[in-house]
Amino acid sequence: MSLNKIEAARSLRIRSTQDFAAGLFMVALALLALFLSRDLPMGTLRQLGPGMLPKSFAVICAALGLLLSANSLRYNGEKLTGFSWRGVFFVLGAACLFGLTIRGFEIGPLKVPALGMLVSGPIVVIVAGLAAEDVRIKELLIFAAAMTAGCALLFKYALGLPIPLAPWLLGI
Amino acid sequence: MTEMFAHLGLGFGIALTLKNIALCFVGCLVGTLVGVLPGVGPVATIAMLLPITFGLDPVGALIMLAGIYYGAQYGGSTTAILVNIPGEATAVVTTLDGHQMAKQGRAGVALGTAAIGSFVAGCFATLIIAALGAPLTRLALLFGPAEYFSLMVMGLCFAVVLARGSILKAFCMIMLGLLLSTVGTDLETGQERMTFGFPPLADGVDFAVLAMGVFGFAEVLRNLENPEARDVVRSKIGRLLPDWNDIKQSTAPVLRGTFIGGVLGILPGNGAVLGPFASYTLEKKIAKDPSRFGKGAIEGVAGPESANNAGAQTAFIPLLTLGIPPNAVMALMVGAMTIHGIIPGPQVMTKNPDLFWGMIASMWIGNLMLLIINLPLVGLWVKLLQVPYRLMFPAILIFCSIGIYSVNNQPVDVMFTALFGLFGYLLIKLGFEPAPMLLGFVLGKLMEEKLRQALIISRGSFMTFIERPISAGLLVVAVAILVIALLPSMSKKRDEVFTE
Repeated sequence: MSLNKIEAARSLRIRSTQDFAAGLFMVALALLALFLSRDLPMGTLRQLGPGMLPKSFAVICAALGLLLSANSLRYNGEKLTGFSWRGVFFVLGAACLFGLTIRGFEIGPLKVPALGMLVSGPIVVIVAGLAAEDVRIKELLIFAAAMTAGCALLFKYALGLPIPLAPWLLGI
Repeated sequence: MTEMFAHLGLGFGIALTLKNIALCFVGCLVGTLVGVLPGVGPVATIAMLLPITFGLDPVGALIMLAGIYYGAQYGGSTTAILVNIPGEATAVVTTLDGHQMAKQGRAGVALGTAAIGSFVAGCFATLIIAALGAPLTRLALLFGPAEYFSLMVMGLCFAVVLARGSILKAFCMIMLGLLLSTVGTDLETGQERMTFGFPPLADGVDFAVLAMGVFGFAEVLRNLENPEARDVVRSKIGRLLPDWNDIKQSTAPVLRGTFIGGVLGILPGNGAVLGPFASYTLEKKIAKDPSRFGKGAIEGVAGPESANNAGAQTAFIPLLTLGIPPNAVMALMVGAMTIHGIIPGPQVMTKNPDLFWGMIASMWIGNLMLLIINLPLVGLWVKLLQVPYRLMFPAILIFCSIGIYSVNNQPVDVMFTALFGLFGYLLIKLGFEPAPMLLGFVLGKLMEEKLRQALIISRGSFMTFIERPISAGLLVVAVAILVIALLPSMSKKRDEVFTE
């Protein structure tokens, strides 16, 4: 018996956790899309409705996902590796903080005025910088100041984009 | 022929104004500056630099974008040669012999050959575009909705086959892109689709948000996870200009590479990516001593680099004449053009001849500029390569954040981008290559429109796609390429090409 057959004769198991998860991911997204587009009319072939393509695409996505998962039971492949949540947390958190502070926001009792780029800029650089394992705080602080100044000059003055600098302090 | 030169003359008249030369120069410079950074490929570079073109008029903006594009391409080769980190699929080939040359102290010659080869390729490619532009545009006017739909199907099939990694996964990404493109208000009925009832989504997912999330943020997360072993060349860069011997060795590969890359670049669906691989394989096959390859053969740099640049340029042909982007970078160009109110397609050439020919002329100028500015600046790029990643990614982040905010002056867009960053990171972790998704996303809206039109014209009969000869031909090619790629013998070869 060849090696392949021995392998095939063994019980069904997941041979590539990455592909298996990827397939499930596709199916989950497809189900979400189907759920969201459940009320959209399909229309007829002569006059396609708004629901026709989203639903068709979602069904194809689900089918591909199932195929991918099924294949992961047959072929060996990559394993799913651990997620580095530190990076996700700091990097994406930094971007969110920028979005929240640049023009201010109000969530319930919490109210933040528009802080402008002179505050939001350093926040992004510093918070994101914390994601690196070899972070050096002093270097990061200087770099944040320099980057913010550079970006303010470039975007506000050289390119003339209407981005608030520090409305609470400078009024622009 | 005279018509072509008249057009080129018009183009040069526009591109050679002081302002446009300056824009082209700045574009090339910043494009190289960002493109040189390891781990930042051309897609990410263009996505990041998109906002700096917002304040310009459309002609200037496109000239600058084209400059950024070439700069990013060239910057990627520089990184490939000096640091052995390919910024994108096509630069992989350059790392093979380019980095070896650098290790032998011939980094300068490798960079110089790449620049000169790219310039030669750029000259020919500009001529090809100018020659093919007008006839192809006339051809495009014969295309009805059915033909457009089939052409896009074919393009997507090519993109699936030519993507890195598993075909099934690339197919998944294309479909996911198409699915994402249906989010937002339906154009015909005005009904909101899959928006969660959330007003900012009513216009659909913003292109810049998706691109920067998936290629900017997610790429940062990927790089943070795998601490790179940066192998910056320590030995001297050496002289930049190739000597007579080098020139003799590389002339033929440059010409062959230009031809291969130029032809493949015209194919819809990322044919350009094949150019460098094909050129390298050819050079290795016809070389007297193939064992030199991989150990610093100059032909292994000259050929693929020329093919890369020729393909990068002729890839504009499907975009400018048919309005169909062949790859992710061109999809970004579509996004950029739409932001400036230009819908790419055959009508650009007739309605905006200034823009069309000005951009083509600026391609050639851009190539010349790369040659002039990059060779003296190699020292600066080497310095830049030594910036540690812990400082590089916060800089990328602040740039992206300000950029996305500036697209619509919407803070919520930045948050959305972070969400897509997470999405892109998940895709990477699951082993998906996100570039085809971007292509599917850009083509999705157009495909839906054309499909609807075609079905209305044919009174609801799908036969229209098979009955019309051009459409049927395109679909046959699409099916054929998929079948060929799925044949066991071919899929093995395909794996070899992409892992070599």
